[in-house]
Formats: sequence, C-alpha cells, structure tokens
Amino acid sequence: MDAQRLKASFAQVAEKGDAVALFFYSDLFVRNPHLRDMFPIGMSGQRDKLLRALGHIVSQVDDLSNLVPFLQQLGRDHRRFGIVAEHYPHVGASLLATLRHFSGTAWTDDLESDWTAAYTLVAKVMLEAADENALTSPAWWNGQVVAVERRRFDISVLRIQPDRPLPYAPGQSVALEVPSRLRHWRYYSMANAPRPDHTVDFHVRLVDGGPVSPVLVRGTQAGDRVRMGAPIGTLTLDESSPRDVLLVAGSTGLAPLKAILEQVSRRAVPPRVHLFFGARSRDGLYDLEDLAKLADGFPWLTVVPAVSDEPGGHGFSSLLQSGDDGIEHGNLSDVVARRGPWDGHDAYVCGPAVMVGHTVEQLTRLGVPRDRIRLETFADAQR
Amino acid sequence: MNSPNLPVVSEGSRLTPGELHSVVFARAALGRRGYDEEQVRNFLQYVERELVKIFTDKAALADEVNRLRSQASSGSRGVMAPEDAHFQAVRILSQAQQTADLYVADAERYTRELAHEARLHREAILSDAKGRAEQMLEDAHRKAAAVAEAAVRTAPPQAAPAPRPENLPDADRLALEREIAYLRTYSDVYRTHLRSYLEALLRNVDEWESSERASLPGGNA
Ligand SMILES: Cc1cc2nc3c(=O)[nH]c(=O)nc-3n(C[C@H](O)[C@H](O)[C@H](O)COP(=O)(O)OP(=O)(O)OC[C@H]3O[C@@H](n4cnc5c(N)ncnc54)[C@H](O)[C@@H]3O)c2cc1C
Ligand code: HEM
Repeated sequence: MDAQRLKASFAQVAEKGDAVALFFYSDLFVRNPHLRDMFPIGMSGQRDKLLRALGHIVSQVDDLSNLVPFLQQLGRDHRRFGIVAEHYPHVGASLLATLRHFSGTAWTDDLESDWTAAYTLVAKVMLEAADENALTSPAWWNGQVVAVERRRFDISVLRIQPDRPLPYAPGQSVALEVPSRLRHWRYYSMANAPRPDHTVDFHVRLVDGGPVSPVLVRGTQAGDRVRMGAPIGTLTLDESSPRDVLLVAGSTGLAPLKAILEQVSRRAVPPRVHLFFGARSRDGLYDLEDLAKLADGFPWLTVVPAVSDEPGGHGFSSLLQSGDDGIEHGNLSDVVARRGPWDGHDAYVCGPAVMVGHTVEQLTRLGVPRDRIRLETFADAQR
Repeated sequence: MNSPNLPVVSEGSRLTPGELHSVVFARAALGRRGYDEEQVRNFLQYVERELVKIFTDKAALADEVNRLRSQASSGSRGVMAPEDAHFQAVRILSQAQQTADLYVADAERYTRELAHEARLHREAILSDAKGRAEQMLEDAHRKAAAVAEAAVRTAPPQAAPAPRPENLPDADRLALEREIAYLRTYSDVYRTHLRSYLEALLRNVDEWESSERASLPGGNA
C-alpha cells in the first residue's frame, strides 16, 4: 500500500467536490436499495461528513497511532445506525466504483489494489472496535420520556428513563433520535450525575428551523420514546486535580457543567467552585432558581448569573424585575475575567462556539494554562 | 379558445394536415351571429401544426422501433449495455437526491425564517408590554401622589387610621401620614391597572397556546 499514491489519488478525486459523494451514495443505493432506509431523506449533511471523514482517513493513512483510535470510535458510532459486518463490502464496492469513475485515466491496477487494501484495513479496524464494544454495551439504549418541563418558550428540560443503565461520566453527551425525526441523530449532554434510578436530564434549546430541537422542546411529552447512542465526550472532571474549579456555561451549555457540579458535590471535601451562567436576557437563565438553591446549600459554591443583552435595570423596570440582584451585565467571558484571577483553577467551558472561544482566550490571557481548560461547543446556531 | 364546430369529416377517415388546410367554413349571414373568421383561421393553423408534429413523431418512433427490432433479432449488442444502464440509474438517482435535498433545504430555511420572525414578534410584544407596565407604574405613581397630597391637605390628621406615632413631632407625623396615604392609594390604583392588563395578556396567551397546540406534529390534541 503506497500512502503517497493514495493521497494523490484522493486529492485528485476530491477536487470534484460534492459530486463524488453524490455519485457514491447513488451507486450504493442503485446496487443495494435496501440500504437507502438507513440514511436520512435529506443527504447533503451526510455527504459532507463522509467526504470529511475520508479526507481525514487518507491524510493519516501513514500515521496509524492517530488514525486507529479515530476509526475505532467511528466503528463504535456506527453500531447505533444498525450497521453490521455484511454492510461493509457493499460500501467498499461503491467506494471503489466511485474512485474509479472520478479518476479517469489515472486509475491503474496498482491504485485499485492500494484502495482495496486501505478500505479492507479501515473496515477491519472499525468492525473489530464495534465487535469488542458489543461485548459490553448495546448498540443503542431505548428511553422513555418521564417528565418534560418547559422553562421558556424555547427551552425544555426532559427527564428520560433508559431501558437499562446508561454508564457515563458527568460532562458527557449521547446522540439522541426521536421517532418523528428518524435518522436525525443529535447530541445532548446529560445534565445530572448518574442517579440510582438511572434517569437522565437533558436541557434542550430550540434552534430556529432545526429538524430535531423544535420537536424535543415543543413536541415531546411524558410517555414519548427516544433512542440514545453510547456516551461520548471529554468534558469530564479531572478527578486527580487538587485545584479549585471554574465552570463557565452559556445557555444550555449549563447541562454538562451541572452534572460535573453534582459530581463535585458528592466529594467528602469539595473544592471551591465558581459557576458562571450566562444568557442574552434574564429569562434565558432558565435554571437559575435551581442553581440558587444549590448555592444556598453548599458553602463552597458561588453562582454568578450574567446577561449580555439587557442593560442594568434602573427605576421602574428594575422594580418590575424583582430579585434581579446579583445578576451581572456584559458578555460572559468579560464577566468571568472581571472576577479573576483564575490561575489556580481548572476551567470547564461549554456553550455556543463564539462564547467558548472568547472565554478560553480570556482565561489563557489571564494565565490559566490551556491544558487546564476543558471545553465543548454546541451548535453554532445557539444564541 | 372556444372550440369551433368543425365541418363534418366522414366517419372512419383520419383527419390529415392537408385536409384541415383545405377546409372552408361557411360564412355566417350578414347581421347574424357567426364564427369569427380570424379566430377560426388561427385555430386551424394551430391544429395543423399539432398534427404535423404528431405525424413526424409517429414516423420517428416507427423508425426507432424498426431499428431496435432488427438490432434485437440480429442478436448483436443489447438495447443498452448494462454498464450504461447502471450509470443512467445512478444519474437519475443523483438528480432525485439533489431535488430532495433542495426541498429539505428550502423547507428548513422557510421554517427558520418563520421562526425568526416569530421571535422578533415575541420580543416586540415583550418590550411593548414592559413599556406599558412601566408607563402604568408611573401613571399610578403620579395619581397616587396627587390623591395623597389632597387627602392630607383636606382631612384632619386624626382621620388617618394608622397606628398613631404619638410622640413624633408634628412635621414628621404629617410626612409619615402622607406617605401612608400615598402608598395605600398607589397600591389600589396600581392593582386595578395591573389586573386589567394581566387579564388582557392572559387572554392573548390562551389564544397563543391553543393555536400552537393545534400546529404541533401529531396534533397532541
Ligand atoms: C457534544 C454536543 C453536545 C450537545 N449538547 C446539547 C445540549 O445539551 N443541549 C442543547 O440544546 N444542544 C446541545 N447540542 C446541540 C444539538 O446537538 C443540536 O445541534 C441542536 O439541538 C439543534 O438541533 P436541530 O436538529 O434542531 O438543528 P441542527 O440541524 O443541529 O441545526 C444546527 C445547524 O443548523 C444550522 N443553523 C441553525 N440555525 C441557523 C440559522 N439561523 N442560520 C443559519 N444556519 C443555521 C447551523 O449551521 C447548525 O450547524 C450539543 C451538540 C454537541 C455536538
Ligand atoms: C470506511 C468506512 C466508513 C466511513 C469512513 C464512514 C463514515 C461515516 C461518518 C463520518 C458518519 C457520520 C457520523 C456521525 O454523524 O456521527 C457516518 C454515518 C453513517 N454511516 Fe458510515 N462510514 C463508513 C462505513 C459505513 C457503512 C459500511 C455503512 C453501511 C451502510 C455506513 C452507514 C452509515 C449511516 C447509516 C450513517 C448515519 C447517517 C446519518 O444519520 O446521517 N457507513 N459514516
């Protein structure tokens, strides 16, 4: 297998852009119509993902120490889509046909055997990881919604009972599928540390025009069913660290941090914890009541709410918003920076990409080493 | 175009472009209602063109059938190489997929725009409500101040039923009584305003909720 030759070949084919993945899926479905049902109706997102993944794989084909963990994760991820070993040769055949079609005269027997070898290896790594994972974990968890609490017109808190224990570390997320949007898997973070009854909470915020979040926020009620994939994510508590903890949450980015907070609270001697919770407006602070209760009960916890789009209240309007005291005004990252220094802390940041980016920037500027900051970003459309 | 009564063509025989061309309509008598000559002529030209097209198509199809028949019977290449058939199928499926993607994208953009507008609308309603509430407060405040002022000026100090701050100096007591009268009136006026406003708001919300429930997937109703 000649890595250089593969890279050059992929680069040549990838120049044709979306047409490549379009051809690949059409070829796959013409040959195997029964596979069409496994994919969503609208496929443009899926085509992007496939090309990106292939590009990533090919670019790392001579660096197996990086590539193998990626493929193993991909293989495990494919279990929830219902993919099994017998599907892989079909995909391989269509991939080869696609590469041949777009390579034109550049296609040679050597190239064909290179690609065959590469695909065989990739499939093997993915399948082995999937098989190993199958020994300990189901392909997916069925869940039943046991409670829905609408906190705002566009934010709901859902409580879900999985059909069997869902082992996860606080701060992690699962991909979730609702029956009315089949094949549209979206990630949501568990908002609580594991409970004896195994129920998990999700904080979902509606993204305008999104396929899944509007259904979860406004169209879901107790008794509804969902499916969940295996937990993923690295926004987890560094248990070995003796340092104090800084949590910075934008909107529903609160979910994983609340789970971490709960985990910390179970320690015999909790560290000092500062939780910053920001939103555009006051009613975006959908979980403040609960956080305030926690802060009252835990002397080691400080909760700082912040809003960015509402000026500080004066006169009659502040009268109307009773209980406003303690709410800071300004961008969350600035509010956090004002309250520093944080250089003795481990920081955990979650929310919209822009907010996370600014916060990390500010924190590193203030002397927090980058490797003490763990983060997760949600959909960019979140506001 | 109204369909004119065509001249009788003998049953069974086919109408040809040539026949149609030579058809002559009887003229309507002078002063009577009759066919519009111009319209009839236009229509005939139209039918003639259509017939020419149909005849040419038919001839081409007959040729094609003959060609394919002889090809098939001569046992040479199939009608279409399986390879070509596969690529055609792939192309057709690709086009269908792109169309589907387009529809999905359009629908998502449309709902996004709708939702965005609704969000703006909601924000406008909220800020309007806030503005009104503020105005009401100020209004109530002004009225109450005026009423309290009047009450203190006209009524003797004893009229105030509040626990009497006996050993306060007169000026202080007067100020305190004025304050009490003010607060009473203020709260009365404000409460009335607020109640009617909230009731209107609630009616709004009820309508909103019921129309929303009706529009949810699955109806839930
Ligand atoms: C690890 C992880 C954890 C997450 N946890 C949570 C969580 O706990 N709670 C939560 O609410 N969300 C969470 N999310 C986000 C969540 O997965 C969904 O993306 C979100 O709920 C929206 O889903 P959707 O299907 O409605 O829209 P999606 O199809 O996911 O829509 C988002 C996409 O649509 C596009 N988009 C949306 N609006 C616009 C617009 N106005 N203009 C242009 N493009 C737009 C954006 O490009 C964006 O990529 C998480 C995401 C990840 C990756
Ligand atoms: C080299 C092998 C493969 C690669 C690189 C690959 C890549 C990917 C990627 C990157 C995703 C997106 C994952 C996510 O959204 O979490 C995905 C999803 C998916 N893949 Fe694969 N895949 C491979 C093999 C297969 C095979 C053999 C099948 C079987 C038909 C398959 C079917 C699917 C399905 C059904 C989805 C989900 C689609 C969706 O919901 O959008 N994949 N794949």
